[in-house]
Amino acid sequence: MHETASGRAAEHHAAEHHALVCEDIHKSFGTLEVLKGVSLSAHKGDVIAMLGSSGSGKSTFLRCINLLETPNSGQVFVGGELIRMANDKRGEPQAADRRQVERLRTRLAMVFQSFNLWSHMTVLQNVIEAPVHVLKKPKREAIEQAEALLEKVGIRARKNDYPAHLSGGQQQRVAIARALAMDPDVMLFDEPTSALDPELVNEVLKVIKDLAEEGRTMIVVTHEMGFAREVSTQTVFLHEGRVEEAGPPQEVFEHPKSERFQQFLAGTLK
Amino acid sequence: MFDLQGYGPSILDGARLTVAVALVSLAIAMVLGLVTALAKLSGMRAAVIAATVYTTIIRGVPDLVLMLLIFFGGQVLVNDLAPMVGYDEYVDINPFIAGCLTIGFIFGAYMGETFRGAILAVPVGLLEAGAAYGMSRGQVLIRILIPQMMRHALPGFGNNWLVLMKTTALVSVIGLEDMVRKAGLAAGATREPFPFYFAVGVLFLAFTTVSVLALRWAEKHYSAGVRQV
Repeated sequence: MHETASGRAAEHHAAEHHALVCEDIHKSFGTLEVLKGVSLSAHKGDVIAMLGSSGSGKSTFLRCINLLETPNSGQVFVGGELIRMANDKRGEPQAADRRQVERLRTRLAMVFQSFNLWSHMTVLQNVIEAPVHVLKKPKREAIEQAEALLEKVGIRARKNDYPAHLSGGQQQRVAIARALAMDPDVMLFDEPTSALDPELVNEVLKVIKDLAEEGRTMIVVTHEMGFAREVSTQTVFLHEGRVEEAGPPQEVFEHPKSERFQQFLAGTLK
Repeated sequence: MFDLQGYGPSILDGARLTVAVALVSLAIAMVLGLVTALAKLSGMRAAVIAATVYTTIIRGVPDLVLMLLIFFGGQVLVNDLAPMVGYDEYVDINPFIAGCLTIGFIFGAYMGETFRGAILAVPVGLLEAGAAYGMSRGQVLIRILIPQMMRHALPGFGNNWLVLMKTTALVSVIGLEDMVRKAGLAAGATREPFPFYFAVGVLFLAFTTVSVLALRWAEKHYSAGVRQV
Protein backbone atom coordinates (compact mmCIF):
# COMPACT_ATOMS: atom_id res chain seq x y z
CA MET A 1 0.00 0.00 0.00
CA HIS A 2 1.18 3.48 -0.75
CA GLU A 3 -0.61 6.01 1.28
CA THR A 4 1.30 8.98 0.03
CA ALA A 5 2.45 10.12 -3.35
CA SER A 6 6.07 10.24 -2.20
CA GLY A 7 8.67 8.12 -3.88
CA ARG A 8 6.85 8.30 -7.19
CA ALA A 9 9.86 7.34 -9.27
CA ALA A 10 10.38 4.16 -7.31
CA GLU A 11 6.70 3.33 -7.64
CA HIS A 12 6.77 3.74 -11.39
CA HIS A 13 9.47 1.19 -11.51
CA ALA A 14 7.55 -1.06 -9.15
CA ALA A 15 4.42 -0.78 -11.33
CA GLU A 16 5.99 -3.18 -13.77
CA HIS A 17 6.04 -5.94 -11.21
CA HIS A 18 2.47 -5.48 -10.10
CA ALA A 19 -0.74 -6.75 -11.65
CA LEU A 20 -2.36 -3.44 -10.78
CA VAL A 21 -1.16 -0.13 -9.42
CA CYS A 22 -3.32 2.89 -8.68
CA GLU A 23 -1.60 6.07 -7.63
CA ASP A 24 -3.11 9.04 -5.91
CA ILE A 25 -6.58 8.75 -7.46
CA HIS A 26 -8.75 11.82 -7.03
CA LYS A 27 -12.39 11.98 -8.06
CA SER A 28 -15.00 14.67 -7.52
CA PHE A 29 -18.64 14.78 -8.49
CA GLY A 30 -19.37 18.46 -8.84
CA THR A 31 -18.10 20.05 -5.68
CA LEU A 32 -18.16 16.80 -3.72
CA GLU A 33 -14.71 15.29 -3.49
CA VAL A 34 -15.29 11.55 -3.21
CA LEU A 35 -11.71 10.34 -3.52
CA LYS A 36 -8.95 12.44 -2.02
CA GLY A 37 -5.89 10.62 -3.25
CA VAL A 38 -6.22 6.85 -2.96
CA SER A 39 -3.35 4.56 -3.87
CA LEU A 40 -3.25 0.81 -4.01
CA SER A 41 -1.11 -1.86 -5.55
CA ALA A 42 -1.78 -5.52 -6.09
CA HIS A 43 0.75 -8.24 -6.82
CA LYS A 44 -0.30 -11.24 -8.78
CA GLY A 45 -2.36 -13.45 -6.49
CA ASP A 46 -3.26 -10.69 -4.06
CA VAL A 47 -6.80 -10.50 -2.78
CA ILE A 48 -7.47 -6.98 -1.60
CA ALA A 49 -10.63 -6.45 0.40
CA MET A 50 -11.83 -2.86 0.48
CA LEU A 51 -14.00 -1.95 3.41
CA GLY A 52 -15.69 1.28 4.31
CA SER A 53 -19.06 2.69 5.21
CA SER A 54 -21.35 3.79 2.41
CA GLY A 55 -20.15 7.03 0.92
CA SER A 56 -16.54 6.27 1.75
CA GLY A 57 -15.71 6.15 -1.96
CA LYS A 58 -14.83 2.47 -2.24
CA SER A 59 -17.14 1.70 -5.18
CA THR A 60 -16.12 4.91 -6.95
CA PHE A 61 -12.50 3.92 -6.52
CA LEU A 62 -13.14 0.51 -8.06
CA ARG A 63 -14.93 2.15 -10.99
CA CYS A 64 -11.97 4.49 -11.50
CA ILE A 65 -9.70 1.49 -12.04
CA ASN A 66 -11.42 0.46 -15.28
CA LEU A 67 -12.42 4.03 -16.09
CA LEU A 68 -16.17 3.53 -15.75
CA GLU A 69 -15.57 6.74 -13.80
CA THR A 70 -12.85 9.02 -15.09
CA PRO A 71 -10.54 10.05 -12.26
CA ASN A 72 -9.81 13.79 -12.03
CA SER A 73 -6.18 12.96 -11.41
CA GLY A 74 -3.96 10.03 -10.58
CA GLN A 75 -2.55 7.12 -12.51
CA VAL A 76 -3.60 3.54 -13.13
CA PHE A 77 -1.13 0.88 -14.31
CA VAL A 78 -2.47 -2.46 -15.50
CA GLY A 79 0.28 -5.05 -15.72
CA GLY A 80 2.79 -2.20 -15.74
CA GLU A 81 1.03 -0.34 -18.57
CA LEU A 82 -0.09 3.17 -17.75
CA ILE A 83 -3.60 4.14 -18.86
CA ARG A 84 -2.86 7.34 -20.75
CA MET A 85 -4.99 10.35 -19.94
CA ALA A 86 -5.33 13.68 -21.70
CA ASN A 87 -7.42 16.78 -21.16
CA ASP A 88 -10.37 17.35 -23.47
CA LYS A 89 -11.48 20.72 -24.89
CA ARG A 90 -13.02 21.78 -21.61
CA GLY A 91 -9.91 20.78 -19.71
CA GLU A 92 -11.54 17.68 -18.22
CA PRO A 93 -9.35 14.59 -18.08
CA GLN A 94 -10.34 11.86 -20.52
CA ALA A 95 -8.73 8.64 -21.66
CA ALA A 96 -6.23 9.61 -24.34
CA ASP A 97 -6.68 6.42 -26.30
CA ARG A 98 -10.07 4.73 -26.20
CA ARG A 99 -8.64 1.60 -27.86
CA GLN A 100 -6.11 1.23 -25.08
CA VAL A 101 -8.85 1.49 -22.45
CA GLU A 102 -10.96 -1.10 -24.28
CA ARG A 103 -7.97 -3.44 -24.47
CA LEU A 104 -7.03 -3.05 -20.80
CA ARG A 105 -10.64 -3.45 -19.68
CA THR A 106 -10.57 -6.97 -21.08
CA ARG A 107 -7.77 -7.65 -18.54
CA LEU A 108 -9.91 -6.27 -15.69
CA ALA A 109 -13.16 -8.19 -15.49
CA MET A 110 -15.75 -6.56 -13.27
CA VAL A 111 -18.50 -8.18 -11.23
CA PHE A 112 -21.27 -5.75 -10.33
CA GLN A 113 -23.44 -5.39 -7.27
CA SER A 114 -26.61 -5.72 -9.35
CA PHE A 115 -25.13 -8.43 -11.63
CA ASN A 116 -25.85 -6.49 -14.85
CA LEU A 117 -26.29 -9.65 -16.87
CA TRP A 118 -27.58 -8.89 -20.36
CA SER A 119 -31.22 -9.83 -19.97
CA HIS A 120 -31.85 -10.43 -23.68
CA MET A 121 -29.26 -13.20 -23.75
CA THR A 122 -29.30 -16.64 -22.18
CA VAL A 123 -26.84 -17.60 -19.47
CA LEU A 124 -24.52 -19.21 -22.02
CA GLN A 125 -24.78 -16.26 -24.42
CA ASN A 126 -23.88 -13.90 -21.57
CA VAL A 127 -20.73 -15.85 -20.85
CA ILE A 128 -19.53 -16.15 -24.46
CA GLU A 129 -20.52 -12.62 -25.55
CA ALA A 130 -17.30 -10.76 -24.77
CA PRO A 131 -14.92 -13.66 -25.55
CA VAL A 132 -16.48 -14.00 -29.01
CA HIS A 133 -17.13 -10.37 -29.88
CA VAL A 134 -14.32 -8.61 -28.02
CA LEU A 135 -11.54 -11.19 -27.73
CA LYS A 136 -12.55 -12.67 -31.13
CA LYS A 137 -12.36 -16.23 -29.86
CA PRO A 138 -13.80 -18.95 -32.09
CA LYS A 139 -17.38 -19.54 -30.96
CA ARG A 140 -16.99 -23.26 -30.43
CA GLU A 141 -13.99 -22.73 -28.19
CA ALA A 142 -15.82 -20.02 -26.24
CA ILE A 143 -18.82 -22.31 -25.69
CA GLU A 144 -16.62 -25.13 -24.43
CA GLN A 145 -14.88 -22.81 -22.03
CA ALA A 146 -18.17 -21.24 -20.91
CA GLU A 147 -19.67 -24.62 -20.13
CA ALA A 148 -16.65 -25.54 -18.05
CA LEU A 149 -16.91 -22.24 -16.14
CA LEU A 150 -20.63 -22.64 -15.59
CA GLU A 151 -19.92 -26.12 -14.24
CA LYS A 152 -17.36 -24.61 -11.92
CA VAL A 153 -19.81 -22.07 -10.48
CA GLY A 154 -22.42 -24.82 -10.28
CA ILE A 155 -24.96 -23.51 -12.75
CA ARG A 156 -24.35 -25.38 -15.99
CA ALA A 157 -27.79 -26.97 -15.92
CA ARG A 158 -29.35 -23.52 -16.36
CA LYS A 159 -27.20 -22.48 -19.33
CA ASN A 160 -30.12 -22.01 -21.71
CA ASP A 161 -32.24 -20.02 -19.28
CA TYR A 162 -32.56 -16.26 -19.29
CA PRO A 163 -31.15 -14.37 -16.30
CA ALA A 164 -34.60 -13.21 -15.18
CA HIS A 165 -35.48 -16.81 -14.37
CA LEU A 166 -32.58 -17.26 -11.96
CA SER A 167 -32.25 -16.30 -8.31
CA GLY A 168 -29.93 -13.44 -7.38
CA GLY A 169 -27.25 -15.80 -6.16
CA GLN A 170 -27.43 -17.79 -9.39
CA GLN A 171 -27.26 -14.61 -11.45
CA GLN A 172 -24.18 -13.44 -9.59
CA ARG A 173 -22.50 -16.81 -10.14
CA VAL A 174 -23.23 -16.47 -13.86
CA ALA A 175 -21.73 -12.97 -13.72
CA ILE A 176 -18.61 -14.45 -12.13
CA ALA A 177 -18.41 -17.06 -14.89
CA ARG A 178 -18.77 -14.22 -17.41
CA ALA A 179 -15.83 -12.46 -15.78
CA LEU A 180 -13.71 -15.63 -15.68
CA ALA A 181 -14.36 -16.24 -19.38
CA MET A 182 -12.16 -13.20 -20.10
CA ASP A 183 -9.30 -14.95 -18.30
CA PRO A 184 -8.58 -11.59 -16.68
CA ASP A 185 -5.39 -10.55 -14.88
CA VAL A 186 -7.37 -8.81 -12.16
CA MET A 187 -11.00 -9.26 -11.12
CA LEU A 188 -12.89 -6.31 -9.72
CA PHE A 189 -15.81 -7.14 -7.43
CA ASP A 190 -18.14 -4.27 -6.61
CA GLU A 191 -20.08 -5.33 -3.51
CA PRO A 192 -20.91 -8.69 -5.10
CA THR A 193 -23.20 -9.85 -2.30
CA SER A 194 -24.90 -6.60 -1.27
CA ALA A 195 -27.94 -7.07 -3.52
CA LEU A 196 -28.55 -10.65 -2.40
CA ASP A 197 -30.97 -12.08 0.10
CA PRO A 198 -29.03 -13.18 3.19
CA GLU A 199 -29.50 -16.88 2.50
CA LEU A 200 -27.93 -16.48 -0.96
CA VAL A 201 -24.80 -14.63 0.17
CA ASN A 202 -22.79 -17.69 1.08
CA GLU A 203 -23.11 -19.48 -2.24
CA VAL A 204 -21.52 -16.46 -3.92
CA LEU A 205 -18.85 -15.92 -1.26
CA LYS A 206 -17.93 -19.58 -1.56
CA VAL A 207 -17.25 -19.15 -5.29
CA ILE A 208 -15.15 -16.01 -4.71
CA LYS A 209 -13.24 -17.77 -1.95
CA ASP A 210 -12.44 -20.68 -4.27
CA LEU A 211 -11.08 -18.21 -6.81
CA ALA A 212 -8.89 -16.62 -4.14
CA GLU A 213 -7.50 -20.02 -3.28
CA GLU A 214 -6.66 -20.61 -6.94
CA GLY A 215 -4.48 -17.53 -6.80
CA ARG A 216 -6.68 -15.13 -8.76
CA THR A 217 -5.79 -11.48 -8.31
CA MET A 218 -8.85 -9.70 -7.00
CA ILE A 219 -10.00 -6.39 -5.62
CA VAL A 220 -13.17 -6.97 -3.63
CA VAL A 221 -15.26 -4.09 -2.36
CA THR A 222 -17.41 -5.63 0.34
CA HIS A 223 -19.33 -5.29 3.57
CA GLU A 224 -18.58 -8.87 4.52
CA MET A 225 -16.08 -8.54 7.39
CA GLY A 226 -15.73 -12.29 7.87
CA PHE A 227 -14.88 -12.70 4.22
CA ALA A 228 -12.31 -9.89 4.29
CA ARG A 229 -10.70 -11.29 7.39
CA GLU A 230 -10.60 -14.86 6.18
CA VAL A 231 -9.85 -14.53 2.48
CA SER A 232 -8.01 -11.28 1.80
CA THR A 233 -4.25 -10.90 1.69
CA GLN A 234 -4.63 -7.16 2.23
CA THR A 235 -7.45 -5.29 3.86
CA VAL A 236 -7.94 -1.65 3.05
CA PHE A 237 -10.29 0.59 4.96
CA LEU A 238 -11.48 3.71 3.19
CA HIS A 239 -13.00 6.62 5.03
CA GLU A 240 -14.15 9.87 3.44
CA GLY A 241 -12.13 9.26 0.32
CA ARG A 242 -8.86 8.34 2.02
CA VAL A 243 -7.15 5.12 3.01
CA GLU A 244 -7.47 5.12 6.80
CA GLU A 245 -6.05 1.71 7.49
CA ALA A 246 -4.34 -0.89 5.35
CA GLY A 247 -2.41 -4.07 5.93
CA PRO A 248 -2.66 -7.82 6.27
CA PRO A 249 -6.04 -8.74 7.74
CA GLN A 250 -4.63 -10.41 10.88
CA GLU A 251 -2.92 -7.14 11.70
CA VAL A 252 -5.65 -4.65 10.91
CA PHE A 253 -8.42 -6.65 12.51
CA GLU A 254 -6.43 -7.53 15.64
CA HIS A 255 -4.64 -4.24 16.11
CA PRO A 256 -6.43 -1.49 14.21
CA LYS A 257 -4.38 1.70 14.40
CA SER A 258 -7.00 4.09 13.11
CA GLU A 259 -9.70 5.24 15.45
CA ARG A 260 -12.18 5.33 12.55
CA PHE A 261 -11.52 1.69 11.74
CA GLN A 262 -11.94 0.75 15.39
CA GLN A 263 -15.30 2.49 15.34
CA PHE A 264 -16.18 0.81 12.06
CA LEU A 265 -15.36 -2.61 13.49
CA ALA A 266 -17.40 -1.88 16.56
CA GLY A 267 -20.27 -0.93 14.30
CA THR A 268 -20.46 2.57 15.68
CA LEU A 269 -19.08 4.54 12.77
CA LYS A 270 -21.56 7.13 11.68
CA MET B 1 -70.79 -2.89 -58.16
CA PHE B 2 -67.31 -4.25 -57.37
CA ASP B 3 -66.36 -4.70 -60.95
CA LEU B 4 -62.88 -3.21 -61.37
CA GLN B 5 -63.42 -3.11 -65.11
CA GLY B 6 -59.96 -4.32 -65.98
CA TYR B 7 -58.19 -1.82 -63.69
CA GLY B 8 -57.30 -4.52 -61.13
CA PRO B 9 -53.74 -5.18 -62.37
CA SER B 10 -53.07 -1.44 -62.54
CA ILE B 11 -54.14 -1.00 -58.92
CA LEU B 12 -51.99 -3.96 -57.87
CA ASP B 13 -49.05 -2.29 -59.60
CA GLY B 14 -49.80 0.77 -57.52
CA ALA B 15 -49.97 -1.40 -54.41
CA ARG B 16 -46.47 -2.67 -55.07
CA LEU B 17 -45.24 0.90 -55.31
CA THR B 18 -47.06 1.80 -52.10
CA VAL B 19 -45.30 -1.02 -50.28
CA ALA B 20 -41.95 0.00 -51.78
CA VAL B 21 -42.41 3.62 -50.70
CA ALA B 22 -43.46 2.50 -47.23
CA LEU B 23 -40.46 0.18 -46.74
CA VAL B 24 -37.86 2.60 -48.08
CA SER B 25 -39.36 5.43 -45.99
CA LEU B 26 -39.33 3.19 -42.93
CA ALA B 27 -35.63 2.43 -43.40
CA ILE B 28 -34.85 6.16 -43.67
CA ALA B 29 -37.08 6.94 -40.68
CA MET B 30 -35.40 4.30 -38.50
CA VAL B 31 -31.91 5.55 -39.23
CA LEU B 32 -32.93 9.19 -38.72
CA GLY B 33 -34.87 8.23 -35.60
CA LEU B 34 -31.93 6.45 -34.04
CA VAL B 35 -29.57 9.31 -34.87
CA THR B 36 -32.06 11.84 -33.46
CA ALA B 37 -32.56 9.86 -30.25
CA LEU B 38 -28.82 9.43 -29.71
CA ALA B 39 -28.26 13.13 -30.51
CA LYS B 40 -30.85 14.18 -27.93
CA LEU B 41 -29.31 11.89 -25.32
CA SER B 42 -25.70 12.77 -26.19
CA GLY B 43 -25.66 15.85 -23.99
CA MET B 44 -23.68 17.65 -26.68
CA ARG B 45 -25.20 21.10 -27.08
CA ALA B 46 -25.09 21.38 -30.86
CA ALA B 47 -26.50 17.87 -31.34
CA VAL B 48 -29.31 18.44 -28.85
CA ILE B 49 -30.28 21.73 -30.48
CA ALA B 50 -30.21 20.30 -34.02
CA ALA B 51 -32.34 17.30 -33.00
CA THR B 52 -34.80 19.48 -31.10
CA VAL B 53 -35.24 21.88 -34.02
CA TYR B 54 -35.81 18.93 -36.33
CA THR B 55 -38.49 17.26 -34.24
CA THR B 56 -40.16 20.59 -33.45
CA ILE B 57 -40.50 21.52 -37.14
CA ILE B 58 -41.73 18.10 -38.19
CA ARG B 59 -44.28 17.79 -35.44
CA GLY B 60 -45.60 21.29 -36.06
CA VAL B 61 -46.06 21.29 -39.85
CA PRO B 62 -48.68 19.16 -41.64
CA ASP B 63 -47.30 16.18 -43.59
CA LEU B 64 -48.96 17.33 -46.81
CA VAL B 65 -47.35 20.77 -46.60
CA LEU B 66 -43.94 19.19 -45.96
CA MET B 67 -44.41 16.87 -48.91
CA LEU B 68 -45.21 19.74 -51.28
CA LEU B 69 -42.48 21.90 -49.78
CA ILE B 70 -39.77 19.29 -50.19
CA PHE B 71 -40.81 18.11 -53.63
CA PHE B 72 -41.54 21.48 -55.31
CA GLY B 73 -39.39 23.65 -53.05
CA GLY B 74 -36.55 21.12 -53.27
CA GLN B 75 -36.79 21.20 -57.04
CA VAL B 76 -36.35 24.97 -57.13
CA LEU B 77 -33.58 24.89 -54.55
CA VAL B 78 -31.61 22.18 -56.34
CA ASN B 79 -31.90 24.02 -59.66
CA ASP B 80 -30.80 27.27 -58.06
CA LEU B 81 -27.81 25.62 -56.45
CA ALA B 82 -26.76 23.31 -59.28
CA PRO B 83 -25.29 26.06 -61.54
CA MET B 84 -23.20 27.31 -58.61
CA VAL B 85 -21.35 24.01 -58.53
CA GLY B 86 -21.01 24.07 -62.30
CA TYR B 87 -23.94 21.84 -63.22
CA ASP B 88 -25.99 23.48 -65.96
CA GLU B 89 -28.65 20.98 -66.91
CA TYR B 90 -32.12 21.12 -65.42
CA VAL B 91 -32.34 18.70 -62.51
CA ASP B 92 -35.55 16.71 -62.23
CA ILE B 93 -36.12 15.31 -58.76
CA ASN B 94 -37.25 11.72 -58.94
CA PRO B 95 -40.68 11.67 -57.23
CA PHE B 96 -40.03 8.22 -55.74
CA ILE B 97 -36.90 9.46 -54.02
CA ALA B 98 -38.54 12.72 -53.02
CA GLY B 99 -41.55 10.88 -51.61
CA CYS B 100 -39.48 8.38 -49.63
CA LEU B 101 -37.17 11.11 -48.33
CA THR B 102 -40.10 13.26 -47.21
CA ILE B 103 -41.94 10.46 -45.45
CA GLY B 104 -38.70 9.13 -43.98
CA PHE B 105 -37.85 12.63 -42.80
CA ILE B 106 -41.27 13.11 -41.18
CA PHE B 107 -41.32 9.75 -39.43
CA GLY B 108 -37.67 10.02 -38.42
CA ALA B 109 -38.82 12.66 -35.96
CA TYR B 110 -41.58 10.46 -34.51
CA MET B 111 -39.27 7.45 -34.38
CA GLY B 112 -36.71 9.65 -32.64
CA GLU B 113 -39.12 10.31 -29.78
CA THR B 114 -40.10 6.64 -29.58
CA PHE B 115 -36.46 5.49 -29.56
CA ARG B 116 -35.44 8.13 -27.05
CA GLY B 117 -37.98 6.86 -24.54
CA ALA B 118 -36.97 3.27 -25.25
CA ILE B 119 -33.27 3.99 -24.74
CA LEU B 120 -34.01 5.66 -21.42
CA ALA B 121 -35.80 2.49 -20.32
CA VAL B 122 -32.64 0.37 -20.73
CA PRO B 123 -30.83 -0.05 -17.39
CA VAL B 124 -27.51 1.85 -17.53
CA GLY B 125 -25.76 -1.03 -15.78
CA LEU B 126 -26.19 -3.27 -18.82
CA LEU B 127 -24.41 -0.73 -21.02
CA GLU B 128 -21.71 -0.28 -18.38
CA ALA B 129 -21.19 -4.02 -18.28
CA GLY B 130 -20.58 -3.94 -22.03
CA ALA B 131 -18.03 -1.16 -21.67
CA ALA B 132 -16.39 -2.90 -18.70
CA TYR B 133 -15.84 -6.00 -20.83
CA GLY B 134 -13.95 -4.05 -23.47
CA MET B 135 -16.72 -3.42 -25.98
CA SER B 136 -16.38 -0.37 -28.20
CA ARG B 137 -19.19 2.20 -28.26
CA GLY B 138 -20.43 0.74 -31.54
CA GLN B 139 -20.50 -2.77 -30.07
CA VAL B 140 -22.42 -1.60 -27.02
CA LEU B 141 -24.91 0.07 -29.36
CA ILE B 142 -25.41 -2.93 -31.62
CA ARG B 143 -24.98 -5.84 -29.21
CA ILE B 144 -26.74 -4.40 -26.16
CA LEU B 145 -28.55 -1.08 -26.54
CA ILE B 146 -30.54 -1.83 -29.70
CA PRO B 147 -31.72 -5.34 -28.72
CA GLN B 148 -32.56 -4.05 -25.23
CA MET B 149 -34.45 -0.98 -26.44
CA MET B 150 -36.45 -2.85 -29.12
CA ARG B 151 -38.78 -4.31 -26.55
CA HIS B 152 -39.59 -0.87 -25.19
CA ALA B 153 -39.69 0.73 -28.64
CA LEU B 154 -41.96 -1.78 -30.37
CA PRO B 155 -45.39 -0.53 -29.28
CA GLY B 156 -44.59 3.04 -30.37
CA PHE B 157 -42.71 1.80 -33.40
CA GLY B 158 -45.74 -0.23 -34.47
CA ASN B 159 -48.00 2.80 -34.23
CA ASN B 160 -45.57 4.89 -36.25
CA TRP B 161 -45.34 2.21 -38.90
CA LEU B 162 -49.10 1.96 -39.32
CA VAL B 163 -49.43 5.73 -39.63
CA LEU B 164 -46.45 5.83 -42.00
CA MET B 165 -48.03 3.27 -44.24
CA LYS B 166 -51.21 5.30 -44.45
CA THR B 167 -49.22 8.49 -45.05
CA THR B 168 -47.82 6.98 -48.26
CA ALA B 169 -51.16 7.95 -49.81
CA LEU B 170 -49.76 11.50 -49.90
CA VAL B 171 -47.19 10.62 -52.56
CA SER B 172 -50.00 10.64 -55.11
CA VAL B 173 -50.00 14.45 -54.91
CA ILE B 174 -46.46 14.61 -56.27
CA GLY B 175 -47.38 12.43 -59.22
CA LEU B 176 -46.18 9.07 -57.97
CA GLU B 177 -48.32 6.23 -59.31
CA ASP B 178 -49.13 4.55 -56.03
CA MET B 179 -52.37 2.64 -55.57
CA VAL B 180 -54.30 5.71 -54.45
CA ARG B 181 -53.40 7.57 -57.64
CA LYS B 182 -54.12 4.50 -59.78
CA ALA B 183 -57.52 4.25 -58.16
CA GLY B 184 -58.10 7.94 -58.80
CA LEU B 185 -57.27 7.52 -62.46
CA ALA B 186 -59.57 4.53 -62.76
CA ALA B 187 -62.33 6.36 -60.91
CA GLY B 188 -62.00 9.34 -63.26
CA ALA B 189 -62.06 7.18 -66.36
CA THR B 190 -65.05 5.09 -65.36
CA ARG B 191 -66.90 7.74 -63.28
CA GLU B 192 -67.36 5.05 -60.63
CA PRO B 193 -65.16 6.01 -57.70
CA PHE B 194 -66.58 3.60 -55.15
CA PRO B 195 -65.21 0.18 -56.24
CA PHE B 196 -61.70 1.53 -56.79
CA TYR B 197 -61.34 3.43 -53.53
CA PHE B 198 -62.99 0.56 -51.74
CA ALA B 199 -60.38 -1.82 -53.18
CA VAL B 200 -57.61 0.53 -52.05
CA GLY B 201 -59.10 0.66 -48.57
CA VAL B 202 -59.19 -3.13 -48.42
CA LEU B 203 -55.57 -3.33 -49.56
CA PHE B 204 -54.44 -0.86 -46.88
CA LEU B 205 -56.34 -2.85 -44.30
CA ALA B 206 -54.65 -6.04 -45.51
CA PHE B 207 -51.20 -4.45 -45.23
CA THR B 208 -51.82 -3.09 -41.77
CA THR B 209 -53.27 -6.39 -40.59
CA VAL B 210 -50.17 -8.27 -41.74
CA SER B 211 -48.08 -5.60 -40.01
CA VAL B 212 -49.95 -6.00 -36.75
CA LEU B 213 -49.37 -9.75 -36.82
CA ALA B 214 -45.67 -9.27 -37.59
CA LEU B 215 -45.38 -6.75 -34.75
CA ARG B 216 -47.04 -9.16 -32.35
CA TRP B 217 -44.46 -11.77 -33.30
CA ALA B 218 -41.63 -9.24 -32.90
CA GLU B 219 -42.86 -8.18 -29.48
CA LYS B 220 -42.79 -11.78 -28.37
CA HIS B 221 -39.34 -12.26 -29.88
CA TYR B 222 -37.85 -9.22 -28.15
CA SER B 223 -39.48 -10.09 -24.86
CA ALA B 224 -37.39 -13.24 -24.61
CA GLY B 225 -35.75 -13.20 -21.22
CA VAL B 226 -38.41 -11.03 -19.66
CA ARG B 227 -40.18 -12.78 -16.85
CA GLN B 228 -43.79 -13.36 -17.92
CA VAL B 229 -46.03 -12.32 -15.08
